[in-house]
Amino acid sequence: MVDGIVSRVACVWVEAFAAAAAERAEPSLRERPMAVITGAAPATRVVEANAAARERGIRAGIPEAEAVARCSQLVRRPASAACADAARRALLDACYGVSPRLEDVAPGLVHVDVAGLGRLVGGDAAVAERLGRAARAVGLPARVGVAGTRPAARIAARAGLHVVVPGGEADALAPVSVATLDWSDEIAQALGRWGVTTLGELARLPRAALAARLGPMGLLAHDLARGVDDPAPWTSWAPPPFWEEAQELDWEIDALGPLVAVLGRVVERLTARLSAAYLVADALELRLALAGGGHHARTLALACPMDAPRPLLTLLEHDLGARPPQGAVTAVALQANAIPRRAVAGELGRAAPPAERDLATVLARLVTLVGAEGVGAVALADSHRPDAFVPARFEPNLVPETGRDTGDAVLALRRLRPPRRVSVATDGERRPAVVCGALGPEERVIGCAGPWRVSGEWWDAGAWGRDEWDVALSDGAVCRLARELCSGEWYLDGVYD
Amino acid sequence: MFSLSTMMRTSWIRAGRITEIVGELSSGRTSLMTACLRDVTAAGGTAALVDADGAFDPASAARTGVVLSRLLWVRCGGRRDAALAATDLLARCPGFVLVALDAGETPPRVSLGAAFRLRQAARRAGVALLLVGRRRVAGAGATLAVRTRRDALAWAGSRRAPTRLAGMSTCLQVIRNQGAASPPSERLDERQWWTAS
Repeated sequence: MVDGIVSRVACVWVEAFAAAAAERAEPSLRERPMAVITGAAPATRVVEANAAARERGIRAGIPEAEAVARCSQLVRRPASAACADAARRALLDACYGVSPRLEDVAPGLVHVDVAGLGRLVGGDAAVAERLGRAARAVGLPARVGVAGTRPAARIAARAGLHVVVPGGEADALAPVSVATLDWSDEIAQALGRWGVTTLGELARLPRAALAARLGPMGLLAHDLARGVDDPAPWTSWAPPPFWEEAQELDWEIDALGPLVAVLGRVVERLTARLSAAYLVADALELRLALAGGGHHARTLALACPMDAPRPLLTLLEHDLGARPPQGAVTAVALQANAIPRRAVAGELGRAAPPAERDLATVLARLVTLVGAEGVGAVALADSHRPDAFVPARFEPNLVPETGRDTGDAVLALRRLRPPRRVSVATDGERRPAVVCGALGPEERVIGCAGPWRVSGEWWDAGAWGRDEWDVALSDGAVCRLARELCSGEWYLDGVYD
Repeated sequence: MFSLSTMMRTSWIRAGRITEIVGELSSGRTSLMTACLRDVTAAGGTAALVDADGAFDPASAARTGVVLSRLLWVRCGGRRDAALAATDLLARCPGFVLVALDAGETPPRVSLGAAFRLRQAARRAGVALLLVGRRRVAGAGATLAVRTRRDALAWAGSRRAPTRLAGMSTCLQVIRNQGAASPPSERLDERQWWTAS
């Protein structure tokens, strides 16, 4: 029981997390013996090794030279903080898709509050299966244990017990070997001297005597063996407002093709995380570290929120093709602005909207063709200022709202952007009589209505005001003229058509 | 008499075909195009407008009833070649019910072969293609072409000093009809467009 609330805890544990993070960034390494190394040559040491390398006797902490001597095919990768951080966040994101109450204990170790999930997912075994599947979906092979306390869940995950029945923690942990857990040297030596081989034997030792010989660490070990919960309160993890994947490169890339291949893996990892959390990206921020020390940063606002990797990669490829980085690339970081996925319900008789993949490809090409500012949907701005609109999200997938099908035939205006400055000669009643420079050199006004005064924001520095006139010109065009009140100048706003 | 409002909702503009609306300035061609966009987006469809000159007015479109969030507006900044290329791209994207090209006062020249390729692309994707401009663009590639013409203007306010333009009366004339839903007469309909402000 934690905080008096949590009664069932799942522990998601990834063995040899640094190696798993490297495999996630480079999936081809899973089939080969690989070790993550750290330190300055020649004192480099193995941080962690993957399963294939461990089978060949390579353990954490041994020198790199010894590891190579034990396995000549060993692939070595330098420890990457960016890679490990991304994998750690990915594991948390994956668990967050199952339960919103998490505790980020250590890299590759997450506690998940699964109390109450039974009615949603099924029993404890089903919850454990779902957590394992979510972790695998983001490229991390995780082991899951479910128990009533956090230590019991951790031991269950490491020992492969999966599910410990409520109240049976001590009995379930009793046969587990003490070698399953990582003890301090002092504890390990003491247990070895005493001939204690299982957690059950450790739990049966007198508690007071254990405290007298080993101190507080002995008491903690005794609690651990009995599956008693930690005294520390549950520290909930909250997802960050940004989602980022990064990859450092061992070599410099100065061509688009290889860079897109690297980006493809980064995008796949990022979208897998988004999918696990039922989110979609509505903007991407790409940062490329360049060999000369500079950076190439691009922000792409997606016209259509999505989490499909291929359209996103196509967008990035087109953007990089249009604005290539000014130098060789040494590291890639991709950040997504995530928003909740919207449920879409189809409607009988409604035409299917464009598929995300098709739409993204078309939008990317349109952006290349006319520029990002020329493509997208718009919405009317909350202002009476003429021609006031703001960019808006193009949302063909939205459930169709009831359109304001007025049935009215509204006369459309063809706008001139910016409004064209014209010369206007007025008659005795100060009404426009001749317009010069509108659509031809000089047109006579044959019909005229106005003035219609509009103004706004007079309470602010951006105050504006104008008199609008609708005029029919001698060449047949019907235009809207506007006379600015402050300057007295005339403009052609547009043509009714 | 064939009702224009009925036509816009049924078979006037068909998927996989090219329809052209031509006319002088202030003849009602843009209002007709906006009404077509309204019909598609208000019914839940997705539409795209390739705007060669950037002349589209979102305010009057919203007053007409166009659902702006389902309208992809592509502004080409006066570049006719870009407008044609954008139209070609969109015509190949299944899912758009209507792709309209507003070519403005100086429509681009399109070869007959290019027009037929455009029609073939629209047919494969099931997209209705609407070309709007001062003169025809697609030639024999278009299934239906209509010309708009203004008949009269109506003014609001006193007769001596009207305050606003109230509306415009226009008529349509079929100038090409190759296998489209055949209207019964060459003269289609008269229509009045009203300013909403």
